[in-house]
Amino acid sequence: MTTLDQATERETAPVLPSQAGTTPRRRWPMRIIGAARRLAYGTIAGLVLAGIVHIVTVLLIPLLSNSDATSAYLSLGTSGHAELVSPRSTESGLPVPREADPAAVTAICSYDLSAGPMRVVARIGTLPLGLTLHRRGGGVLYAITDRAAIRGVVEFLVMTEEQRDERAARDEEGEAVRELRIVSDTMQGLIVARVLAKQPSDREDAEALATGVACGLAE
Amino acid sequence: MRALDLAYVIALGAGLGLGTAHFAVAGRPLIGMVRIGPWDAWPRGGGRDVDPYMRAYLARGVHVPLGAGEGLELIASRDDGGQALDGRCRYLVSGVTPTTRGWSLSVSDMDGRPFRLPLDRNGFTDAEVVREESGILHITAAAEPQTGNWLPLPGSGRFQLRLRLYDTPISSQASELRPDVLPGIARLGC
Repeated sequence: MTTLDQATERETAPVLPSQAGTTPRRRWPMRIIGAARRLAYGTIAGLVLAGIVHIVTVLLIPLLSNSDATSAYLSLGTSGHAELVSPRSTESGLPVPREADPAAVTAICSYDLSAGPMRVVARIGTLPLGLTLHRRGGGVLYAITDRAAIRGVVEFLVMTEEQRDERAARDEEGEAVRELRIVSDTMQGLIVARVLAKQPSDREDAEALATGVACGLAE
Repeated sequence: MRALDLAYVIALGAGLGLGTAHFAVAGRPLIGMVRIGPWDAWPRGGGRDVDPYMRAYLARGVHVPLGAGEGLELIASRDDGGQALDGRCRYLVSGVTPTTRGWSLSVSDMDGRPFRLPLDRNGFTDAEVVREESGILHITAAAEPQTGNWLPLPGSGRFQLRLRLYDTPISSQASELRPDVLPGIARLGC
């Protein structure tokens, strides 16, 4: 097609009277509608993405957090017994547990199951003693109180799922298992001994009771 | 224009998603909360089946919460009438406590830290409190000295009352508790 042909074709193309008159007026509303539609689609997509980001963030915080109790108290308990973290013993440089009861004494022993299962042995006294297992990234795995003591001692083993299966395979068949086995879904965590000091004069007893909790490798 | 659209979607998604996640776990989450009269409790916060929001909240700070079998923590930021607890007012904490091995009631700031008051008393335990003949508990919380069981308050600002029940059978059924099994918090005056 030559340039001349194109020119004649343009001239001969039928021009509708209505179209010719309204084109400049219609272009703006169309543009605004188009932009509004794009904005609406973009907002919907943004909200869906925001929902995904929200859920993923909330689920990732426990996995990535370095400021949880397990990270803060990782050094405690290497000596084989629980160590105090009461609000009054801040000279050790350890962070004070948040939302802790001022009337209770807390001693902590951290565990790392990569070397094998941990055995926890607590002697009970007259004051209420609670033992809890906290996994890395927040959450209590297990709680037991001194009411479950047998002959004045609360004793349990902390292990991973594989270590439990291994131990179960070694059990003598037909013989009752004499130990309490607790499965931890994380390799690291804390064993927390909490004693309520009912009166200020009980504090020393409570501290002795809490730090008397022994924790070490099971074998 | 396409790049601008994409930038808008990403900015909205990331900004709104991260912002709402931060606000959802900055304080104790509303999901999983149980309200019993003026007291709030998070009974699932001390168990294996902790919800993701509570878990994220616990993981963001040095928290060692009470285990579900160990006890139950109840937090009050409001009185029986629904008004925020204020250090300038006087309150009467009275009623009964559920069966426990022991309990403690303490005053803390809104983050759960005890106040540094001139008098070394942050709270009462079940052994320290003086009861009436009927066994009913009466504790007066005020900044000025009071007769009977006096719980000192900071002179101003908001505060919380925290009741911790140790080794209690109710911790597993906290959501079914009625307010009359826990002490009430009545405002006496300001």
